[in-house]
Amino acid sequence: MKILVLAKQVPDTDKVKIDPNTGTMIREGLDAVMNPLDMHALEVALRIKETTGAHITVLSMGPAKTEEMLKDSLAFGVDRAILLTDAAFAGSDTWATSYVLSEAVKRLKIEYDLVLCGEKATDGETGQVGIEFGVLLNLPIVTYVSRIFEVSKEFIVVERTTEEAFEKWKVKLPAVISVLKSVAEPRLPTLNGKKRAMNQKIEIYNAQTLGFKPEEIGLNGSPTKVIRVCNTKLTRNCKLFVGKETTVGVRKVVELLKPFLRK
Amino acid sequence: MLMVISNKVDRNTIELLSKACELANRKNFEVSLLLMSAIQEKLEQLKGYADNVILMISKQFEVFSLDPFLVNAEMVVRKYRPEIILSSATTFGRTLMPALAAKLKTGLTADCTELDIDEKGNLLQTRPAIGGNVMATIVTSTRPQMATVRPKVFQINPPTKQKTKFIFEQPIFVADRCELIGYKVREEEAKIEEADVIISVGKGLRRKENLDVVYKLAKFVNGAVGATRAVVEAKWLSFDHQIGLSGKVVKPKIYIAAGISGAVQHLAGMQTSQTIIAINKDRYAPIFKVADIGIVADAYSILQQILEALGDEKNA
Amino acid sequence: MREFIEKLQQIVGVENVKTDPDELERYSKDETSEIEHQTPLCVVFPTTAEEVSQIMKLANLYKVPVTPRGAGTGLSGGAVPIKGGIVLSLEKMNRIVEIDRENMVAVVEPGVITDEIQKLAEEYGLFYAGDPASSESSSIGGNVAENAGGVKVMKYGPTSHHILGLEVVLPTGEIVNFGGKVLKNVMGYDMVRLFVGSEGTLGIVTKIIVRLIPKPKYFATLLVPFDNVERAVLSVPKILSESGILPTSIELMDKQSALMASTFLSENIPHQDAECHLIIEVDGTDKDGLARTYINLGEKLQQMGALEVYIADNRYQRLKIWKFRKAIAEGIIAFRPRHCMEDVSVPIKEIPKLIMKTYEIAEENKLEVLNFGHVGDGNVHVTFLKPEQMSEQLWKENLEKALVDLYQTTAKLGGTITGEHGIGIKRKKYLSIFMSKNELDLMKKLKRIFDPNNVLNPGKVFD
Repeated sequence: MKILVLAKQVPDTDKVKIDPNTGTMIREGLDAVMNPLDMHALEVALRIKETTGAHITVLSMGPAKTEEMLKDSLAFGVDRAILLTDAAFAGSDTWATSYVLSEAVKRLKIEYDLVLCGEKATDGETGQVGIEFGVLLNLPIVTYVSRIFEVSKEFIVVERTTEEAFEKWKVKLPAVISVLKSVAEPRLPTLNGKKRAMNQKIEIYNAQTLGFKPEEIGLNGSPTKVIRVCNTKLTRNCKLFVGKETTVGVRKVVELLKPFLRK
Repeated sequence: MLMVISNKVDRNTIELLSKACELANRKNFEVSLLLMSAIQEKLEQLKGYADNVILMISKQFEVFSLDPFLVNAEMVVRKYRPEIILSSATTFGRTLMPALAAKLKTGLTADCTELDIDEKGNLLQTRPAIGGNVMATIVTSTRPQMATVRPKVFQINPPTKQKTKFIFEQPIFVADRCELIGYKVREEEAKIEEADVIISVGKGLRRKENLDVVYKLAKFVNGAVGATRAVVEAKWLSFDHQIGLSGKVVKPKIYIAAGISGAVQHLAGMQTSQTIIAINKDRYAPIFKVADIGIVADAYSILQQILEALGDEKNA
Repeated sequence: MREFIEKLQQIVGVENVKTDPDELERYSKDETSEIEHQTPLCVVFPTTAEEVSQIMKLANLYKVPVTPRGAGTGLSGGAVPIKGGIVLSLEKMNRIVEIDRENMVAVVEPGVITDEIQKLAEEYGLFYAGDPASSESSSIGGNVAENAGGVKVMKYGPTSHHILGLEVVLPTGEIVNFGGKVLKNVMGYDMVRLFVGSEGTLGIVTKIIVRLIPKPKYFATLLVPFDNVERAVLSVPKILSESGILPTSIELMDKQSALMASTFLSENIPHQDAECHLIIEVDGTDKDGLARTYINLGEKLQQMGALEVYIADNRYQRLKIWKFRKAIAEGIIAFRPRHCMEDVSVPIKEIPKLIMKTYEIAEENKLEVLNFGHVGDGNVHVTFLKPEQMSEQLWKENLEKALVDLYQTTAKLGGTITGEHGIGIKRKKYLSIFMSKNELDLMKKLKRIFDPNNVLNPGKVFD
């Protein structure tokens, strides 16, 4: 069985710093790690590999730094890591990203029986690429997968969690499965894995070698464009009660809550 | 035409239609709802909220599966050629819309919290970006322009349309590559989205036992208990209580943030609440920036004082 | 007494003197389990050193005991009023006065939560290396009073290593200043060191100058399961003396501790069934160098019989490891409220003997025991748990026997009764196991000079 994991690199931080002038994120000095939600997808792949045997490819499009993240993924026992990187890819929206990824799969003849990805990336938070990728390759897609029950050559049985229900789906392979956190807890890399990964190569392709035209990729190939960014100045006029005044504050809150008192 | 796609008649759909009518007025667009469901019910609730309700009724739409929904939605969209398509940012909208966008080779903006239309008919789609730190406004150069919209962001307006036309479209049967073999309704511990008052706690409450006073207070005012991610991760409360980017988005009348410093991820889930009360020891905590009333003190002791005072009110 | 309280109210304002019973109850405990206390007359919340000074003068006049208190997260009863009197909470003195980037120091008030200093320092690329495990909830004043340690002590040292100067209100009310924004200072006795760790018995700290250092850029955390506690612990002195690497932390959790943590988190730790796990963290300024370091370290651990060596070198994975370590204490508090968490510290070579002995002691006294802590610096939180079936009476008796045995063993190994939690009231009666009469007497004389009326935190450290 061949498994393709789509992964995105995100900055390794929980404290986002914003450039006050441009409104963009300051990424300088931040390491690239795999999107935490994609790690859960990778874990599913690794477990399938452990139980039934599988060949795992991780595919990512991103800046050159993404190589670090792919190196890390090799330490887990990933068999093949492919990076699509080019300045011309920069500024891609979800459509352009899905287009490049799906075309790369076709053009590089990457084989797959199952495609796995995380529900969304922790930075962009759109959760669209996996789905658009699947449609472009005409694959069945199941989103919000919270459990894997069974995998065989022909199908996969999964649990999908929605607002109202837990659904059990039997899906024909090849298919795209996008997973929630709860699907499987990612493992930690081992020393031996890390050492092995040091000698493994990552395949790197640019726009030219993949045969993309400049107008169909990156900012040019993206139908959506950010026209304005503003800092979330949600600042309300907070009436602050400090020290001796806290009792006054408490009284105010009590007044506000009074109408809601259970009779 | 401005089209809203939904698979049921619920609060989200009416919210979205309310906003759609507002936007459409400016450009004299028609508003249409594409309703794909297994049964026709609650249709009278839609009267006045759209010019057209396009009904596609099929057993295949009983539980959402991408294959039948995508083929049929694409068919309707190609026939009616809307300028704009909106759907809720729910598991339904967030699955169908990207698939539809890929089919139509057009752009899609996820999780919008503000929508507007400029004089050229461009949909100005605003969404929180970079963990809610900034608001990004996005336009789409291709057509149709598509966006999913966060639930509970827009208010429900009274119906404005004089006439609502109900149109039946015949769905086609699609061989589904996914087969539903089990279905279990989810029973949630906390329905915090519906509460008027939410008392939310962070690690500043210091210990799990202190939740006692929070529960008591919530009971007093018919409220619900919310939590930050840290509190959920420490297993003080279950995931159903989590508010924020990776949890729930809420908009109660009163939101009390107790011992919550206000990480952007949390703010993203509650900052549109009507009145926000923050209690935190640290007067520089970011939560005070989004609060209407701030009390700089230990959260537990303040909650206790509130509880006592309310108890007196109740007995009075 | 009414007169006394009225005068207190004149000093700090009526609203800063609390007397309602719930409040008094709350301020008469800390996080030490099973500690006796007396309900105080009131809790006062001064906001300036001047107010603290006036309170102390008043207390001397009326001979009323004063128990100073930070965030109340102590583990030895140091902030617990045992002679009645008043609790003096420094919670409202919680300003970060300045971060002086050029001098790499921060000037703070005692009520600041330690993490707040860390967060602000990080904005400047700086780092407060003294933060203890409780930094999210403990205050810097409390850290100073108890000379708090933590998980980074083996490389960076405890709180005392990071305190450059103090403003202190003496028990008799005078305001004094020692030290400053200087790294070197041999002007007279090292009074700063004397106050740090004095457990609130020699003075009340009202301003603190802490040292900041450049923030290390890269970290790697190793999780290393072993099938034998002795072998794991033996590897610690070996790593330290032979590898040429000084980790920031070497933490141990034995099987019972890991079980406690994983139950609390509802998540298994890798190799859940291992007899114990070591958590080792290294930091550095360049990534490749750090990789060489952890490979070197990891290979040594493999040679010493590690079942596996997991390596986390990004924030996400590191948190995954550390959350288990942090959940042990939370788990104990949640599931086993009847426990006694100890804080003994021995020279690192002696750790295996100490730990193996704790299992014997527990067995002899029919108690359960778990061991976790900072084995890299010799500090182990031996924790005795009351078995479910055991009667209260027997628990008290057997625990007492177990503790005495534990302390005698520790003393024999050249260790100390407390590495980072302090004596407070919890351990004072055992101090004579570790100290001679002459040594104890000298400390008592010192206390008398500072506090002739014995009003400041009386009954702590010794009677």
